[in-house]
Amino acid sequence: MDLELSDEQVWLEESINTLLERRWPAAESAWQAGEAERARLWESLVEFGLLGGAGNDLGAIELCLVARAVGGHLAVVPLIGSVAVRYALAPFAAELPDDFRALQTSDARLAIGLLEPGGGWSPSGVRATVKDSRLTGTKAAVEHAAVVDYLVVVALVGAEPGLALVRRDSPGVEWGDQPALDGAVPLSRVTFGDANTDAVLSGQLAQTIIDRLISVGGLLAAAEAVGASANIFSQAQSYATERRQFGRTIGSNQALRHLMADLHVRQASSWSTTLYAAAALDEGIPGARLTGSVAKAYVSRSAREVAHGSIQVFGGIAFTEEHPAHRFLRRIILREQQFGDAAHHERELGRTLAATANASASASGINERVAA
Amino acid sequence: MQLTETASERALADEVRAFLSGQGVRAEELPHELDDRMALLQRWQAACYDAGYVGRTWPVEFGGGGRPPVEQIVVDQALAAAGAPEFVNIVGLGVLGPSLLRFGNDEQRRRYIPPILSAEEIWCQGFSEPEAGSDLASLRTRAVQDGDNFVINGQKTWVSWGQYAKYCGLLARTDDTVPRHRGISMLIVDMSAPGVEVRPTTQITGHAEFSELFLDDVVVPRENLLGELGDGWKIAMYTLGHERGTAALPRQVKLRTWFDRAVSAARRREVDGRPLIDDPEAQAALARALIGIEVLRHHAYRTAGEFLQGGAVGPESSSVKLLMADAEQRLASTVLEVLGPTLQGGDPDDIPENDFWYETYLYSRAASVYGGTRQIQRDIIADRILALPKE
Repeated sequence: MDLELSDEQVWLEESINTLLERRWPAAESAWQAGEAERARLWESLVEFGLLGGAGNDLGAIELCLVARAVGGHLAVVPLIGSVAVRYALAPFAAELPDDFRALQTSDARLAIGLLEPGGGWSPSGVRATVKDSRLTGTKAAVEHAAVVDYLVVVALVGAEPGLALVRRDSPGVEWGDQPALDGAVPLSRVTFGDANTDAVLSGQLAQTIIDRLISVGGLLAAAEAVGASANIFSQAQSYATERRQFGRTIGSNQALRHLMADLHVRQASSWSTTLYAAAALDEGIPGARLTGSVAKAYVSRSAREVAHGSIQVFGGIAFTEEHPAHRFLRRIILREQQFGDAAHHERELGRTLAATANASASASGINERVAA
Repeated sequence: MQLTETASERALADEVRAFLSGQGVRAEELPHELDDRMALLQRWQAACYDAGYVGRTWPVEFGGGGRPPVEQIVVDQALAAAGAPEFVNIVGLGVLGPSLLRFGNDEQRRRYIPPILSAEEIWCQGFSEPEAGSDLASLRTRAVQDGDNFVINGQKTWVSWGQYAKYCGLLARTDDTVPRHRGISMLIVDMSAPGVEVRPTTQITGHAEFSELFLDDVVVPRENLLGELGDGWKIAMYTLGHERGTAALPRQVKLRTWFDRAVSAARRREVDGRPLIDDPEAQAALARALIGIEVLRHHAYRTAGEFLQGGAVGPESSSVKLLMADAEQRLASTVLEVLGPTLQGGDPDDIPENDFWYETYLYSRAASVYGGTRQIQRDIIADRILALPKE
């Protein structure tokens, strides 16, 4: 048992933060950045080694450190899709079709197609379908659809969800802008009309990889939200030590001191649970998927609470468009919803608890009968 | 980071489990009568000490095991997971023993620490007073120097196991002429000394784990001063931080065993012919309780990292304390809501289980009060982590 980040991990996050400071505008004005700035940042991240390859793949802990830094700077890059897919595939490289395996050593930008109009974040409800290697269906909230090289789409293969690899420029793939709360992050609705697939995964292997994809995707979304909430909270902290009302510094009021102490607890424990769940995923600990649900559920509520509390500390100024608070709030809500919000994961956990309790009860019933 | 236990950690946990299956005592099976309970718990701690499970990380020269801190975590978690009761000399182990190690002289450490570990001598703490609760520095109990002795007069409350304690680590005012935090000293008081009177306090649970302590011209030799004169506040803050920082890991295991017990009750009990666990609202409520316990574990692990490297327990222990109180109270309240009408259904089979949950629920209300209230923890975070201006 070793519960601390390694020197290399600490160095990694510092390096990413330095890179973001040099290659990305300040968080306050990041929403104005265009595709040219996004592409430039992405190139630097890839150059840094974000996509791994050649035995240098980053683990979920390292990827969460990167995502936290990205969230803190409100950076906009096709990070989650590009790294989550590779992370999900990595342990199964030997069993993958060539085109999927080739992703691991390429610089291709990837987007995930999971959510569907009228559907939820659980893969069991998807209606997009692969038939004879061709994909038909509609996906929502696909990130960076205009610039990615591939779409990795959860779709039915036969009766079960599988994973289809589709070139974004394949005939039959069409996308249109989708309005989002965080306008800085480009989301699209993508339709697939009998689109050609490069490769398809199905069966148990696909199921395992999809679960892993959703787990790590949820943790990266959580880590990004933690980064964003850390930044706005730290700004609120500074403000509380400077702003004066009633002849005193507002941060000296017990109401605000206690509010901010609670926000600190949420903030610090959100990061702890994200890191723990990432470590569980990296080590393949049994129940890692449920631990991921715990983390995503907790951070989904907590990051928003930290943003809300920070806005309350700022007061009216944080309700202006000019103030950056809402930029952070928007990013936090965007990531809260992706890969399942708190209610989604609480229901999942609750169902699993009930199923496990019922299963172990009937198993021990069998044992008792055998013993009798 | 490495969550997976190493081979030696796994071997140690297996060893503890084997020990427990041989002679384990379960918290739920303790005698109700307090004297019997106490005697059994003392024997139990002694057996665990002999096996090397108490004070595992403490220095060998004072009766400890001299092992790395991670081993105590492995042992504590294995004990808690098996439903073993908490060690009865909890104040000695969690509060005053660490203070003796840090601030005591060698003579004091050699004299007092081994019987703390073996539970031969139970310790209590004399910190709170009727007029000095959260505002501990306003305490009025006075120790006046008289030659080679101190003479103590005053009153203390919330003295854990006061009626069974051999020694009390007591905070008393020794100097009125300096700012109040600096005029307090820590003294080791023999509970059998003339002038010491103990009156047990019955809590809302019906048990009497705490006492009031009355001190009337109690004479304490000067050699029983811990640290220097006026060090009392510094020592108390260290010990309370230590208690907060190290209690969470075994506590979260205990909460997890209670949680599993709640799920099992919700599966067995039915309302209108339907098991409670099949209700989606009950499932989500239990999931939220589990999330509280899990996040406590994750955060306690991360903050323990520093402690495991031999560092001091810092103000982040206040975050752990707040999460611990939240997790315990949420669990206890959730169980009452989930079990709902079955609690008053009068089914004779349910009654012992109902009693357990009622007691757990009532006890949970103390979680945000003892060891520094929720509000005091928030103040510590505001001052020492967020560096917000003082009121």
